[in-house]
Amino acid sequence: VRASPTSVYHPQVPLTPAERCAEAIIAGLQAAGIDLVASLPDKWLTPLAERIDARPAFTHVRLASEDDGVGVCAGAFVGGRRAALICQNAGLLLAANALAGMALHHQTPFLALAAHRGAYDDSFFYQVYKGQTVEGVLHALEVPFYVVDDESQLGLVERAAKQAYLARRPVVLLLRRQALLG
Amino acid sequence: MKRSPAAAIVQRLLRPDDVVVCGLGSTGFAWSEQQPQQLTYWASDPMGIWPSFALGLALAQPKRRVIFLEGDGDLLMNLQVLLTIAGAAPANLKMAVFHNGSYASAGGSPLPGMPGADLASICRGAGVATAEAADEAEAERALAALLAEPGLGAVILRLEEEPPADSPHGPWSQAEDRAGFMRSLLGDRPFG
Repeated sequence: VRASPTSVYHPQVPLTPAERCAEAIIAGLQAAGIDLVASLPDKWLTPLAERIDARPAFTHVRLASEDDGVGVCAGAFVGGRRAALICQNAGLLLAANALAGMALHHQTPFLALAAHRGAYDDSFFYQVYKGQTVEGVLHALEVPFYVVDDESQLGLVERAAKQAYLARRPVVLLLRRQALLG
Repeated sequence: MKRSPAAAIVQRLLRPDDVVVCGLGSTGFAWSEQQPQQLTYWASDPMGIWPSFALGLALAQPKRRVIFLEGDGDLLMNLQVLLTIAGAAPANLKMAVFHNGSYASAGGSPLPGMPGADLASICRGAGVATAEAADEAEAERALAALLAEPGLGAVILRLEEEPPADSPHGPWSQAEDRAGFMRSLLGDRPFG
């Protein structure tokens, strides 16, 4: 019997590649002291978000717009709690004003994990603009970001979060398909 | 009801250890006039981001009441956040919406959809228990009821038109104010 995407980790049940990636990301979040996650789904992210939702150790806030996630993470930070935003890369375009005016201007660090849609590993034409624009926008905002190609690089989750708190600014990981779905 | 007496009622009903998130514009002006003793996080631009900020703070500080003073124009900029707040439903988050129907700090242009739109119904429809107050006596009753019991809720304070006012700008940057707020709230607890 396969574990459902929402089931908590059970060591006897073999994990799918997506579940394995999700577990590695969750371990990185926990190692960085993050226990609050605000998310808005993407097909590549749903295995991760629903596994987080099933974990009692996390508070999971379901967003209707990604810029609200910047606000949730900022409010959590000033209250002494570490938070992460999980969304599609297009959500970072939508959240540009919040990133500049809230997270950078008020210096409220958090980790953003974004599905990096629209590159060579995507097959939808309407995703392409995301892959073409998001890195340039983050660069213009002066938000540090790293592209995570696959599961072997997921140790960056903990390290990028620690960089965010050290630098008092958000840090973004742009996760390619293989880093989320294996 | 004018904004300053409405803010004074809020101030009178709060405890010293309540934490306030205060929206920008005329709401910030009215709250600053009260010279509040409560620890207050003063909003800046961008508009629309402060309801989610208040939500994050309430989730981080579940033992403190977080009172969110919000202008109607600010709320309108991100109405979908009401559903996110209702979904998370922190029992310590209390919202007071200063509803004058205009962008008062920008010169008083009317909000879109006003006066026909019903903010209280919008909040209720999103899942936030919401009362409405049209005068000071109703405001006193509604806010006291909101604060009396744990549970997410909102009060819409219907205000009359007044001359434009804007929140005061102190000498510190928002990053400096943020650090000061955190040291008051958390002491020297390490976070980095």
